[in-house]
Amino acid sequence: MSGQPFNKENIGRRSFLLRAGLVTAGIFFSGCLRRIGGRKSEYEHIQGNLRGPNAKAGHMLRDKMPLPLSSRQENVKTLIIGGGISGLSAARWLKKNGETDFKLIELEDHTGGNAYFGSNAVSKYPLGAHYITLINNEDQQLIDFLHETQVITHFDEQGLPFYNEYYLVFDPEERLLINGHWQSGVVPDFGVPDTERKQIERFFKLVTQYQNTKGSDGKYAFNIPIDESSADEQYRQLDNLSFTKFLHNHGFDSSYLLWYLDYCCKDDYGRHAKDVSAWAGMHYFCSRRGKAVNAEPNSAITWPEGNGWLMKQLRSTVSDHILTSHMACDIRLQSDGVEVKVYDHSTNNTYTCKAEQVILASPQFVNQKILNGIDRLGVDYSKMNYSPWLIANITVNNLPTSEKGMVLCWDNVAYGQPSVGYVNANQQDIKLIEEKKVITYYLPLCDKEPRLSRLAAYTRTYDQWLDIVIPEMEQMHPGITPHIDHIDLWLWGHGMIGPATGYVWGETRKQAKQPVGDRLYFAHTDLSGISLFEEAFHQGINAAQHIIDKKHAS
Amino acid sequence: MEILVGLVGGTSSTILFMVFENISSFRIVLYGLISFTGILVGLEIPLLMRILKDRFEFKELVSKIFTFDYIGALIASLVFPLLLIPYLGLIKTAYLFGMLNVLVALVACIMFKDEVKGVKYLKSAAIITLLGLLAGFIYSERITSLSESLTYSDPIIFSESTPYQRIIITKKGRDLRLFLNGNLQFSSVDEYRYHEALIHPVLQALPNAKHILVMGGGDGLAVREILKYPQIETVTLVDLDKEMTRLFRSNDMLVRLNKRSLLSPKVTVINADAFSWARAQQRTFDAIIIDFPDPSNYSVGKLYTNTFYGVVKHLLSPDGIMVVQSTSPFVAPKSYWTVDRTLQSVGFHTVPYHDYVPSFGEWGYIMAMRQSVYHVPDHYVAGLKFMSKPCLEQMLFFPKDMARIPAQVNRLDNQILVKYFEDEWSTVQ
Repeated sequence: MSGQPFNKENIGRRSFLLRAGLVTAGIFFSGCLRRIGGRKSEYEHIQGNLRGPNAKAGHMLRDKMPLPLSSRQENVKTLIIGGGISGLSAARWLKKNGETDFKLIELEDHTGGNAYFGSNAVSKYPLGAHYITLINNEDQQLIDFLHETQVITHFDEQGLPFYNEYYLVFDPEERLLINGHWQSGVVPDFGVPDTERKQIERFFKLVTQYQNTKGSDGKYAFNIPIDESSADEQYRQLDNLSFTKFLHNHGFDSSYLLWYLDYCCKDDYGRHAKDVSAWAGMHYFCSRRGKAVNAEPNSAITWPEGNGWLMKQLRSTVSDHILTSHMACDIRLQSDGVEVKVYDHSTNNTYTCKAEQVILASPQFVNQKILNGIDRLGVDYSKMNYSPWLIANITVNNLPTSEKGMVLCWDNVAYGQPSVGYVNANQQDIKLIEEKKVITYYLPLCDKEPRLSRLAAYTRTYDQWLDIVIPEMEQMHPGITPHIDHIDLWLWGHGMIGPATGYVWGETRKQAKQPVGDRLYFAHTDLSGISLFEEAFHQGINAAQHIIDKKHAS
Repeated sequence: MEILVGLVGGTSSTILFMVFENISSFRIVLYGLISFTGILVGLEIPLLMRILKDRFEFKELVSKIFTFDYIGALIASLVFPLLLIPYLGLIKTAYLFGMLNVLVALVACIMFKDEVKGVKYLKSAAIITLLGLLAGFIYSERITSLSESLTYSDPIIFSESTPYQRIIITKKGRDLRLFLNGNLQFSSVDEYRYHEALIHPVLQALPNAKHILVMGGGDGLAVREILKYPQIETVTLVDLDKEMTRLFRSNDMLVRLNKRSLLSPKVTVINADAFSWARAQQRTFDAIIIDFPDPSNYSVGKLYTNTFYGVVKHLLSPDGIMVVQSTSPFVAPKSYWTVDRTLQSVGFHTVPYHDYVPSFGEWGYIMAMRQSVYHVPDHYVAGLKFMSKPCLEQMLFFPKDMARIPAQVNRLDNQILVKYFEDEWSTVQ
């Protein structure tokens, strides 16, 4: 008050700060203690378990475990290895083109790959891929499939599709918890300063520009399937740059925008923006141009079981050709065909399958183990990195509704969180009120390099995962814990290929797509570099088409 | 003084809760309470300085008082959002802090009994206030429900929460009112205007109608109107809420109001979700009455989409007529004409009309049919209090302030109606 330096007051202020600090710390630690002490009782009522792809079978391959001796030989013209979307799509295409002599073997006891799904008394729910967006109108093969399955019901005079109203994602679609408020839409808006809003606008202008750009070869700069994109160097060179670097070069530094783009990379590729190439980063935004009569551009198409629904449609056309719990463990090229050693782990039998040709619709990290003495020149397996994911299907008997802002949507995201949020598996339910809901929470494990994240993930127990999942759910919905009945966890060690810098247009992918000696054909999204239903669908068709063409040629 | 701070602060949120309904005085009370608390707290600082002036040097005194003042403010600002409001709720927190204030006074009385005059009087005042606040703290739950009862102007004679909604019935004189989730569904004084307008333009135009479907309308009042036509053989009522239809079949007063309509042998009550039920049906009906709650949320909004109307169209016989209650064309013209446009989008010809229901205001309905011509019926069944030929002719006319405006189709994947409805009704309330 006197305006002079005053020692005593300084001490007072210091002690004040100290005391204030102690009080704050006290509150913080008492909160922590309550958590540690009360954890068991808080989570005790929650049931569920931790599952994942059949790790035992996978490790048999990795560790080259001795198998029972081959008991018999079977002959088949075409053998498809892998019952994910690529393999099923290849099988469908063979069948559609009059082939009947083929078998599809799948290591798991079910088909589906990462379009696999689960169900409980409340609902079906996805365990991985869970939606597609409006299909680019020139993608005739996929449009035909969707028409066959009534995802597209009919076309108008201009040939523009009508999508099935029950599959177009129901409104309200997306919300974001940001600055303490649930805003509508996932692009940050609520509480975002004007200068940053302008940057967000500028980014989307850039997107529109790229979206409609064609290269000198008449192809779009970014397209789906990825191999339909322009070969012009000016676009492809974006693959040699990380997405983060690209954004920096364009002067994008808004933290809200950068968060959003990082979220998108995590959502689609399971990696941070710094770990994917600029080409892949922009592909997410610039490759979708699908139009429909009865839906807005970029509309999502989804089912309670996610892409499991599409998978079942593919499977239903070829179900008599499928053998599950059958694992290919050794593939050798011979002068008259391919010899595949198959282990049936439901009966613990091994047999030899002799095929004229084989479609390997399995990921390359598996092919690397089973291709015996077969060299794929120029393929550097270490360049293929697969992102691990944790999926939690949470059955809740009530979602707190007292929050501020937008009500429950299909896609619900919280700003600045490790997960990419959760989707409401019951969104496409026409029922007015469900007493219980299943929500599917997606956590990409991308903070370390994939190999380390995977190792760390394999060591975690169910309870330890709950300690990651539940606090985040609490952050989104304070007080939700007592309303959780069930949490089913699904861990993907190799969830999806990550389009790292230089992968999409690099040598490894180019070489890995090449058939070997007119006998071995490859079909998998890791050969596209991005894990999309559309890519898998075309991977399968392309491999099958090679075989059909070969037959016609001979 | 500390006691007074406790009393005012402690009861403030309860008082505010109670008076919230009375909007005009709410702000006066709010600012009054804040000012009063502010003045009391403000008085404390000079008072404290005077009391402590003999103990400390002035500068130190000021710094100490402000130090503690700020520490208190810091603790409160942390503790309130993190612990108290989430765990205790607003009302209990207020009482708790009121009690703390009074406790300070009580402790002060005891510690400084020599320096304070009238200790006994103050002590007993503090204890009484403390007990009062404690009672408020304990009974705060009841206070919440008491303040709920104040939101309904008439005495509540029935209230029940079903899995789907909160049903409340009020009665004042001969006026019986039904509220679902706080929204008025009917007032017995004028509900005949609504239900006659909903039913008779359709049924009077279908002299051969035998099988009728009613969706929503679990109060049985629409069914009461339908049963006035002797040729009608069956009425199928689909309402989600079992409790609702049970109530309107068993409660004396309500059964008298709907003339035992839900107990008629012609009537089949089905408690099911309308959308799922309709999708699973094969049979057709000569008339369909759609009497759902207003599209105030995304769940009910699904029942106003082109997809739903497409499904229901399959249940309507070739010459049949359907009618949809479609909110107010006066308050919510955009919403009203969106329903009309949506019905047209699935291939219906529409006949929009409206009437005045005093407890609702100007209300709208839309008839939908396959054929393009609707003839206003000449005669009406006996026993109507409202509908007549000239009345319907008037209802078909839309004055300028409710005239048709261009609208979009309401779809499951856009639900524009819910947004319009919220915008339009929020501007009147």
